[in-house]
Amino acid sequence: MTVRLGTATVLDGVDLTVGAGERVALAGASGAGKSTLLGVVNGTVPPSAGSVRVLGADPAALRGAALRRLRARVGTVHQHLELAGALRVVHEVNAGRLGSWPALRAAWSLVRPQGVADVVAALAQVGLADRVFDRTDALSGGQRQRVAVARVLVQQPDLVLADEPASALDPVLTERVLGLLAGPAGRGGALLAALHDPALALRHCDRVVGLAAGRVVLDAPAAALTVADLAGLYGTPA
Amino acid sequence: MTALLERPAAVAPRLRRDRRRWAWGLAALAAVGWSVAGALDGVNPAGAAQVGAFAAAALSPAVDGAFLGVLATAALVTVAYAVLGTALAVLLGALGAGAAARTTWGRRRLGRLGRLATRGVLAVPRGLHEAVWGLLLVTVLGLDPWVGVLAIGLPYGAVTATVFGALLDEVPRGPYEALRAAGAGRVAAALYGLLPRAAGGLLSYACYRLECAVRSAVVLGLVGAGGLGYQLSLSFSSLRWPQVWSAVYALALLCLAADVAGRAVRRRLAAPRRRAGVLSRDRVLTAAVLGTLAAGAWSWWFLALSPASLVSARAREQVGVVLRAAWPPSADADLLRSVASAAVGTVQTSVLAIALASVGAVVVMGVAARPAGRCPPGRRLAGVLVRLALLLLRAVPAPVWALVLLFVLLPGVLPGAVALGVYTLGVLGRLAGEAVEEADAGPRAALGALGAHPVAGWLYGVAPVVAGPVLAYALHRWEVTVRDTLLVGLLGAGGLGALLASELATFDWPAVATVLAATVVLTLAVDLVGDRARRALR
Repeated sequence: MTVRLGTATVLDGVDLTVGAGERVALAGASGAGKSTLLGVVNGTVPPSAGSVRVLGADPAALRGAALRRLRARVGTVHQHLELAGALRVVHEVNAGRLGSWPALRAAWSLVRPQGVADVVAALAQVGLADRVFDRTDALSGGQRQRVAVARVLVQQPDLVLADEPASALDPVLTERVLGLLAGPAGRGGALLAALHDPALALRHCDRVVGLAAGRVVLDAPAAALTVADLAGLYGTPA
Repeated sequence: MTALLERPAAVAPRLRRDRRRWAWGLAALAAVGWSVAGALDGVNPAGAAQVGAFAAAALSPAVDGAFLGVLATAALVTVAYAVLGTALAVLLGALGAGAAARTTWGRRRLGRLGRLATRGVLAVPRGLHEAVWGLLLVTVLGLDPWVGVLAIGLPYGAVTATVFGALLDEVPRGPYEALRAAGAGRVAAALYGLLPRAAGGLLSYACYRLECAVRSAVVLGLVGAGGLGYQLSLSFSSLRWPQVWSAVYALALLCLAADVAGRAVRRRLAAPRRRAGVLSRDRVLTAAVLGTLAAGAWSWWFLALSPASLVSARAREQVGVVLRAAWPPSADADLLRSVASAAVGTVQTSVLAIALASVGAVVVMGVAARPAGRCPPGRRLAGVLVRLALLLLRAVPAPVWALVLLFVLLPGVLPGAVALGVYTLGVLGRLAGEAVEEADAGPRAALGALGAHPVAGWLYGVAPVVAGPVLAYALHRWEVTVRDTLLVGLLGAGGLGALLASELATFDWPAVATVLAATVVLTLAVDLVGDRARRALR
């Protein structure tokens, strides 16, 4: 699996390859380009130059159903979650399956929720099973973040992209959520996660990529790094 | 450590529908079905030829100099009515706001009673359409220009008072309380502590009223008060289609100009341009205010208004005659039966109209919204065309649509419903499109990124967010539509309006009083239902 990037306005000549089974942490100060990099990979941000290969395919060369099939294999926990909010939790989680559902089934599911058992199972993994039929905008910030994680769990993607997926969670839930998101990587997929907390990055990832002002300034196995090495990325004295 | 997380929920969660919303939804569906059933009366095939001739004339409006001159004068009359009517409304509104606002009454028990009483008094003029006021005033004042001014000013004044009062009540009361604590009187404290904060909102609303007044002045013409609407109805009844189209284009232009200018000024009010540290005034706003004041003075001169005719012996005598004749209202069983059936027709018309408009608005709102990011030129063009079509639909007042439809449709629920539906679609389509523009684009983009079908992305990412506001707009427009149904009825489309017109024509004052009371009660009831439904949506 290759991800190669050219030049976007906030990313400057980034060339990065994530291999199968790898768990990669993106580190760097705010504005370094972590979210943009994730956006380029999942297709929400078009690169202005260069090329991207995702799961062995070139998204720019695909159209229609073929592109949708590729995108269904990439799951994202967005930094701002991007939940509609005015829906019940069951629908927000089921939205993870929209990549494989035809439009009619998607519409019918809003009337009669489909695959509720799977949704409840995914929510149980993040400790929210009892909120499955609540309105999403009635949940707290941390609960909403877990809904977004559950969406990725029912999607069962090969590549997981996560942008600060645990920013609003307590330490116990943080460990659990990162473990869940690393699941596909353990089965031959991959995880690419933007993480602010150096300790977390070192504990849950095999490799750390440091970004500064849109450039890759660090790319090393987690085992060879210390928390102090990463602190340097944020401009704090090591 | 994870034991807490994996403990199963005590009770397995069940999907519980929100009963209140379901009840409202089913009630709405039932109302639409009932209205459709009421609309299944006749089509008049004989009128099709006239409609053909009418439609054919659209491309060849009358453009001879003499007629255009007549139209120009008529347009000036309409504008003059609108300006003076709004001026009166703002004046009455300012006075009434003082009486309706919480600030005036305070929080004491007596205050609550006083406020309720004021609101009750204001509800009566508000419940009657401008055109109804026009018809009533004509019988008292004769063909005096005051009829047009008062017919706009009185009902608008009542609405303006309510809105002004609400605006004043919304202003944070800290500064006002501080001034009161420092010994300032109520009026002075309101002038320095409340008014400056509320001024933008008040001015903006006054401006919006002026826009509406232009439309109302056109409509008043249709029932005989002079101006563009009057020219239109003259040409209409003599079947001169090219002239009708000239008048339609002229009044569409006028309404359009009011719409565009009003929105520009209101947008400027929302975000005024100021240079720091300099006491400077916004030129556009200053020009708008001074221009309106000058237009008011000119209108007074142009319409040759004289206060004397308001209080002339003849007018006073007429008021006395009418009031004495109208009291007590008729309680004749036959009349009450026809009032009830006309009220049913009115409700059916309005329900059908809003159903048509809502379905139409939902269909077009996606295209009507300006796309946020990059998009193909075809999509952009479609958006421009749809927005233009909506603009035209709402530029032509509903009664004009109704007059045309009455050629092919027999008087009853259907012509009014279609006419009002078409006009309301113009309004609702724009509002729904703006709701889509304001919705966050993120959720939809996120669904696209995980491979969702565009339709599914819309259903899960946009529809849930805009459903609430669009339904609230639709309910609000329904309340407006019920008022407009009365007006369309006055011109012959059926319902309470038609009944009122026939009772007025025979000078049966007790019956008129009964119909008017029914009208006010119906409007109040509809407002109440709309308010309840909106609350259930929240």
